[in-house]
Amino acid sequence: MSIFDIIIIGAGHNGLVAAGYLAASGLKTLVLERRETVGGGAVTEEIHPGFRCPILDHVVAPFSPQIIKELKPGHGMEFLTPAARVLALSHDSPSVCIYNDTAQTVREIKKVSARDAESYPGFERSFSRIGKMLAPLLAMTPPALEHSSPGELWNLGKLGRSFRRLDKKNAYRLLRWGPMAVADLVAEWFETESLRATVAARGILGAFAGPWSAGTSAGLLWQAAMDGHAIAPATSLKGGLGALTQALSNSAKNSGAEIRTNADVEKIEATENRAAKVLLKTGEEFSTRAIVSNADPRTTFLDLLDPACLDPSFLLKMRNYRSTGVTAKINLALSGLPSFEGVDGEDARTKLSGRIHIGPDIDYLERAFDAAKYGDYSPQPCMDVTIPTLLDPDLAPAGAQVMSIQVQYAPYNLTTGDWDSRRDEFADTVMDVLSSYAPKLTELIVARQVITPLDLHDTYGLSGGHIHHGEQSLDQSFTFRPLIGWAQYRTPIKGLYLCGAGTHPGGGITGVPGANAAREILKDFKGRKI
Amino acid sequence: MTAKYDVIVIGGGHNGLVNAAYLARAGKRVLVLERRHVLGGAAVTEEVFPGFRFSVCSYVVSLLRPEIIRELDLPRHGLEILPLDGTFTPMLNGDYLWRVNDHAKTRREIARHSRLDAEAYDEYGKAMIDMAHFVKPIMSMTPPDPTSLNPKGLKDLLFLGRRFQKLPDEDKYNQIQLMTMSAVDFLDQWFEADVLKATMSASGIIGTFLGVRSPGTAYVLLHHYMGEIDGAFRSWGLSRGGTGAISNAIADAAREAGAEIRTEAPIEKILLKNGKAKGVVLKSGDEIYARIVSSSVDPRLTFMKMVGEEHLPDDFTDDLKRYKYRGSSGKVNLALDSLPNLKSLPGVGPHLRGAISISPAVDYMERAYDEAKYGRYSRRPYIDIVIPSLTDPSVAPPGKHVMSCFVQYAPYNLKEGSWDEKREEFGDTVIDTIAEHAPNIRDIILHRQVLTPLDLEREFGLSEGNIFQGELTLEQLFFLRPAPGWAQYRTPIRNLYMCGSATHPGGGIMGAPGRNAAMQILKNKD
Repeated sequence: MSIFDIIIIGAGHNGLVAAGYLAASGLKTLVLERRETVGGGAVTEEIHPGFRCPILDHVVAPFSPQIIKELKPGHGMEFLTPAARVLALSHDSPSVCIYNDTAQTVREIKKVSARDAESYPGFERSFSRIGKMLAPLLAMTPPALEHSSPGELWNLGKLGRSFRRLDKKNAYRLLRWGPMAVADLVAEWFETESLRATVAARGILGAFAGPWSAGTSAGLLWQAAMDGHAIAPATSLKGGLGALTQALSNSAKNSGAEIRTNADVEKIEATENRAAKVLLKTGEEFSTRAIVSNADPRTTFLDLLDPACLDPSFLLKMRNYRSTGVTAKINLALSGLPSFEGVDGEDARTKLSGRIHIGPDIDYLERAFDAAKYGDYSPQPCMDVTIPTLLDPDLAPAGAQVMSIQVQYAPYNLTTGDWDSRRDEFADTVMDVLSSYAPKLTELIVARQVITPLDLHDTYGLSGGHIHHGEQSLDQSFTFRPLIGWAQYRTPIKGLYLCGAGTHPGGGITGVPGANAAREILKDFKGRKI
Repeated sequence: MTAKYDVIVIGGGHNGLVNAAYLARAGKRVLVLERRHVLGGAAVTEEVFPGFRFSVCSYVVSLLRPEIIRELDLPRHGLEILPLDGTFTPMLNGDYLWRVNDHAKTRREIARHSRLDAEAYDEYGKAMIDMAHFVKPIMSMTPPDPTSLNPKGLKDLLFLGRRFQKLPDEDKYNQIQLMTMSAVDFLDQWFEADVLKATMSASGIIGTFLGVRSPGTAYVLLHHYMGEIDGAFRSWGLSRGGTGAISNAIADAAREAGAEIRTEAPIEKILLKNGKAKGVVLKSGDEIYARIVSSSVDPRLTFMKMVGEEHLPDDFTDDLKRYKYRGSSGKVNLALDSLPNLKSLPGVGPHLRGAISISPAVDYMERAYDEAKYGRYSRRPYIDIVIPSLTDPSVAPPGKHVMSCFVQYAPYNLKEGSWDEKREEFGDTVIDTIAEHAPNIRDIILHRQVLTPLDLEREFGLSEGNIFQGELTLEQLFFLRPAPGWAQYRTPIRNLYMCGSATHPGGGIMGAPGRNAAMQILKNKD
């Protein structure tokens, strides 16, 4: 029986990033992945002979350049960033495409509203300013509120100073926007409904919330912190998102990490409140000095650990950690490129190569959410669609395409029936709505893969099917993620750490939680705490 | 032209009167100008129908700051608070939930619905009272400006930070959740009985355009535990003679201190001289001069109407335009020939003496909100019913009763039609809803008064009918109320101050804004 320094549970992108850093610093590292392939939410798999598709996530958030620089996952990894960020479709107004390029976007918005075209640059500027101020937060370990160490106080101080460096106007914007409903925020900037809805969509992405829910503006602030823009980019990779995790896995191996797939962890064993062993379903067991869980907090504490190891009030808080997913995924193999109503001309392909937003107005998004509140999927869901083959034709046979559709709202808990019995009825609803924008779509479908929230739970191990490893509401963010007092990647069990999206800065393909966790773990090793 | 007064207070609502009373007691020559024929603003009693005296708008009291009651010696000026005991919640299945101040009783009652909840109820109460203690001092402080570099602001922020840090971890956790979560999400962690969660969460949405599942609504749950009549936490009360009696008592205290109060004195404009306020012009054309003008009416009236955009910095007017009112509630006042007979607990009894809350289920509450989101008033609204005449017979003729129904949701902006067309239809919806729980209601109504958000705006000068002079949402609280950088009761116009519910700590018959503003005015007078 071999002894490791580090065992990482789950080979999602964050687990692999952590593995990369820890192995590189000479720690004997083992990564255990229950599925047959590494990657977690960032995987490319064949959905039909010859058709490969990003199965879950289809864009990076973007992925932290800092980590690329430090881990050099390098060769075989090529980011593809289309000129278009997102295309806003609507039945009652012309489509609007948001590009990376401001001037180009302004020209585009002019088609629907001169006023919005005018306010757009200011919108971009304000968010990039605030984003710059917030950016350091992402790579920082959230300070512990109770007994802040001098280092943490120093960080807080730095934060305060950079906040005060913002001009008064943006400083107050930040304070107002944090808790605000995203519907109100977009209304302050734009008058065109489809533009409002498309910008607001980032605020409700994967959230059990609608655009009128307070706090949904925070999503735009995080996005701005990640890449200086409130509207998420459509950046993917050659070979789909799986290429990223493959590269990360290779570089971790090159640094000496051992990675095992089909290794389903049954239990984390702690002796005297210290992480000691990992047991596999096969009965195999590994001793280790430290365990790093890339699984979500609920799975880690409520499934993998014996509740007896945890203090009751911690357990209670963890049971109250909100992690009810509302998204589903549909992947299509298409015989050709569908044409979208009102998107034609020579730049059609350019426009379609970004994300395509379905959800033409704020009320539409809110109504879609209403259904979820009462335990049903939206009869008129909103969608974030990409056509990965437009960036990387090699994913499908010549001329053929794959389409990746993230659908919201599809609540994990249904009031009537269950997801297995309603899977196709749900998928058909999605197809009907999408067909109203791309009329000939259904004729092109060669194969269809439907991933319900239940599948996200069962197959991909996301507790409650929540793609962010838990709701990213104000009370479950930053120094409260996953729980107040436990936002430093450590846990009540000595030698057990979290490194997944359930820790700061949360979901999306950034790699930052993994990197932050690795930094804290190395501190503890150096400090002989483990 | 020499000023006859030191301060002119615009509006004779409870905050304006509190403001005036404190200033007068400090030796200022104060004049209060009220547009209507009665004092009190939204805290007013009117004999709408002969013999029936309604607390027309605001109808219960619990948040009135004890220091104000003390310092202004309000009991001597006629203030008498009568306890309003308990909340009775009829359910759709014919059962009910009846919570009273008698702790043991309430526990037994809750146990009927869930044993676990009965246990949790104590814990919950303890936790909430700790939270209330934490929040209390914040109520009576002037919000700092977090962006200014003046050390005072920093000091105040640090003070808050340290107080928070000193909280036990458990309380920190609760506090964060209270500030950010939805009432239902928060209560879900404590309780399982749907009706208990529904009726408790109701307090989180009153006066807001939010649903019980909207983040930010948990915070208001605290207010229930901040009611401090005679120091007793959590008790709600009625004031003898209706809520107008509170205003009258404060007015009395102000007059005794030398303040002059005029009713039926509507204001046309605030007089400015090179950027400074120097008095007001009445609709009658009279000009009255003062060194300081203190406005208790909401920012839209104060600045857009009485000052005028042209005199204000653009950023400030932009912020004022962003400031959200969005009235969401209406009021139906009934003159009754006898008492309603509840299906779930027939007959006359103590259950009628408290509040009767039509909030039978969480989904019921949320669906009521859903309709409002799309510009309709709720087909089945949340209604908070009180029958003051049972506690204070003086407000109705012998044997007869008045019934006050606070109704939500009634959005100010309707998608179809106008409130003038829909007023009675709305009134009928309210009666229909009540009839489902008290079938005899239609037979016992002698008169009914229906107040829509539009009426609240016209009659009581509440923009968009918001009863709190602007939504109490996180982005409009504390140092953001009413506008970023202007939460210190001062305004961009020198010598013009704000002292109404649109300033920290906001609405409800609390009086804190009026008092805090008075302190500021006395501090930085020039």
